[in-house]
Amino acid sequence: MTDQGFSVTPPVVKARLSRDDWVMRAFIVGIGLWLVVTLLLPLYAMLSKSVQSKDGTFTGLANYIEYFSTPALFNSINNSFFIAITSTIITISLASVFAFVLARSSIPFKGFFKGAALLPLLAPSLLPGISFVYLFGRQGVLKDLLGDASIYGPIGIIMGEVFYTFPHALMILIAAFSIADARLYEAAQVLRTGRIRTFFTVTLPGIKYGLISAIFVVFTLVITDFGIPKVIGGQYNVLATDIYKQVIGQQNFEMGAVVSVVLLIPAVVAFAVDRFVQRKQVAMLTARAVPYEPKPHFWLDSVFFIYCVVISAMIIGIIGMAGYASFVTFWPYNLELSLNNYNFDVMDGGGWASFYNSLKMATYTAIFGTIIIFTGAYMVEKAKGFKAIRGVIQFLCMIPMAVPGMVLGLAYIFFFNHPDNPLGFIYGTMPILVIVTIAHFYTVSHLTSMTALKQMDPEFETVSASLKVPFFRTFLKVTVPVCLPAILDISIYLFVNAMTTVSAVIFLYSTDTSLASIAALNMDDAGDVAPAAAMCMVIVATSATVRLIHALLSRGLQLKTQAWRKR
Amino acid sequence: MSKDVADQKREAYLRVRNVTKKFGSFTALRDISLDVYEGEFVCFLGPSGCGKTTLLRAIAGLDIQTHGSVFQGGRDISGLPASERDFGIVFQSYALFPNLTVNENVGYGLVNIRSSKAEIAAKVAELLELVGLPEQGDKYPSQLSGGQQQRVALARALAMSPGLLLLDEPLSALDAKVRVHLRHEMKELQRRLGVTTVMVTHDQEEALTMADRIVVMKDGVIEQVGTPEEIYRNPASAFVAEFVGTMNFLNASKANDEQILLGENLLNLDEAERQKLNGSPILACVRPEDIQVRNIDDATENAFMTTVKDLEFLGSFCRATLCYGDEGSNINADFSINLVRDRNIIPGAKIRVAIPANSLHIFPADTAK
Repeated sequence: MTDQGFSVTPPVVKARLSRDDWVMRAFIVGIGLWLVVTLLLPLYAMLSKSVQSKDGTFTGLANYIEYFSTPALFNSINNSFFIAITSTIITISLASVFAFVLARSSIPFKGFFKGAALLPLLAPSLLPGISFVYLFGRQGVLKDLLGDASIYGPIGIIMGEVFYTFPHALMILIAAFSIADARLYEAAQVLRTGRIRTFFTVTLPGIKYGLISAIFVVFTLVITDFGIPKVIGGQYNVLATDIYKQVIGQQNFEMGAVVSVVLLIPAVVAFAVDRFVQRKQVAMLTARAVPYEPKPHFWLDSVFFIYCVVISAMIIGIIGMAGYASFVTFWPYNLELSLNNYNFDVMDGGGWASFYNSLKMATYTAIFGTIIIFTGAYMVEKAKGFKAIRGVIQFLCMIPMAVPGMVLGLAYIFFFNHPDNPLGFIYGTMPILVIVTIAHFYTVSHLTSMTALKQMDPEFETVSASLKVPFFRTFLKVTVPVCLPAILDISIYLFVNAMTTVSAVIFLYSTDTSLASIAALNMDDAGDVAPAAAMCMVIVATSATVRLIHALLSRGLQLKTQAWRKR
Repeated sequence: MSKDVADQKREAYLRVRNVTKKFGSFTALRDISLDVYEGEFVCFLGPSGCGKTTLLRAIAGLDIQTHGSVFQGGRDISGLPASERDFGIVFQSYALFPNLTVNENVGYGLVNIRSSKAEIAAKVAELLELVGLPEQGDKYPSQLSGGQQQRVALARALAMSPGLLLLDEPLSALDAKVRVHLRHEMKELQRRLGVTTVMVTHDQEEALTMADRIVVMKDGVIEQVGTPEEIYRNPASAFVAEFVGTMNFLNASKANDEQILLGENLLNLDEAERQKLNGSPILACVRPEDIQVRNIDDATENAFMTTVKDLEFLGSFCRATLCYGDEGSNINADFSINLVRDRNIIPGAKIRVAIPANSLHIFPADTAK
């Protein structure tokens, strides 16, 4: 048996593909093409635009040289980094303590505090900007707190960004604090380690990866955010608003592309670091640990409680201020409450129609996005062979996370508005808004799908094949029902983000397809700040309602499936 | 090829010919050939990484071999996808659909080929009866114990009346007691249905109790094929001897064409073992339970004096460490509790033992473990 006498290599067995294999491969090719068309080609169009002159001839780095020799432009890099770094430091400091309290102390009302802290997720990012105008603006109620400083500028931007990114950081940090191993703390106690030393030797190393991940997520969110600097930035330019100004204000698409590439770089670097770190975090999670049970400690808990009350009050106050302002008839002269500001139809920006557009857009995005992303993830995860293409698709699925919305929106202009593009007919329609939104929020949805799919027994498909059952029957009868919680999560994530997003769609809407968040932005631009606040509140209310429905649905689903779901 | 079963008249139901499987530069299976006869229960046994699961997956069409061919019932299935082959499969993880009831799980494949609901229901009830789970059909898998879940998986695998039943470590996830019970039942069921079965296991006890024939594998090649008795009594290599059961490995040397020298004792070899003698150092092998103490006189073959160094109580028997020469020249022997009491075997005692020639095997020393 061991003698390798033969010199002729035996023929390689050619595996015949089953019908299932063909169908799956067709789906994979389809999803690959989808990603290429909705992501890769637009980005390529943008990159090539940045090395072209206005008439479309290749000019090499001329545009970049122009950019870096114009102080008014490249100063924004400094500004963007200053804002991003400062906001990140503040957000992470505040959120770490908040997360620590929620995960590791025994204060009451934790559920309420967590709910309050996550509220900003329901609002478009311009909401804090508008709210700060009312709080600290020229006629703001708390103007004196700022002294001589103006809210319009870095102070306002940073405060807004902290509000907007707080829940994102909080979720990551709570997860990091929650995986603590009680045995390590017991060991530290038995060895008579003091509280402070325990913190530095046990707590900090445990959340290290979560902390790093949160830092980079917040940094990326801030540096790519457009809504807040637009509303409250005043004359203070950052990269995201520069793209808008170049494209919308000066119709200088080439320079817009250059700024986009400049903005892309820190976003990509931050994303790469985050992915690298998250891989390590996962490895830590797999080790089975004894969950940490916090013990009451009167003085510490009292301090923590007050801290949570203050932070929650600030968050609710900011949203509440916008809400209040939206009902005030004419700030600050007529403080009588009325619904005048909700009469959007008499104002510029698109009126109530834009809200219905938003609802439609969010619904389509949630439905089609979930179907495309989950099915795509299933095919990529479960298909056999086709390794190279599946690898490429996995990579493509990660790209949207690193691409700022503004950049994606601009890339869509270049690609879909090109006269030679046969897909050009969708430009300025509802479908392009849906498609760009799906592309923009693809990564998180894809990762959620993958996590759910990886928990499925890999042999389900094998068993189906041995029973001569086509895979799509198993997909519909088993995979989808079992993954339904994850599928609902994806659809709600897509819906809320489609409702609140501004950046990717700002370049792509037409007068017929204006959206609520854009209407708010435009009304604010036109000086109708109160109606803008009102529109933001409508968005918040919609997101909140949908979230609530989602919670009830999930609850009902859990009750209905608890017979077999014991995870 | 290693020595095959003598039964050449029958055409094998499953024929594996020169199968090689490569994963990149790693060769998981090296030129494997094997016959499985109709109605036979064959176990692939070996340590993890030996290629036994890879071979099973090649037979199932899940990971198709790089070279070589597979025939089932005379049909060349070498390159066919799993869905076009004829087998039922049971996995260690059960792989039951969690959101479907036991009935729906067992009837999962039947829905495709049978029209009437009543027919399916009858078949499912019959299958559940067969695996000893009547009236559990409306439960969900998570409401059943591990052993019960594995029975459901078995019923599902048998539902389509497959020509071949593949079992991939089916008992490894179960508790020791359930495992012993279920392996007996599975073997009984297999005998009753007469379905040709291939099981992968790393548990030698499972293989010895369930299989008609065992295929012992190591590093992607077959070390030995034989009945459980043959594998246990006449291991073909030091690896098989070590992997199946407990074995003493003793350093020895060739004395003459018929005898070896163990310490200062000359031991006779059986005819078959003598063929293996050459000049090189030798490993002499004997199972602890084959060491004889009773009825030894001067005429007894292969008898020698030993000193009891240690005695380990293992419940139903004792394992004695006997020294037959210098420090380190030790041999383990299993003695019944009665024998230990009757012969007053205690540490320090001197006893005369014998190794019957038919229990003594030799292997070249460099093939050890």
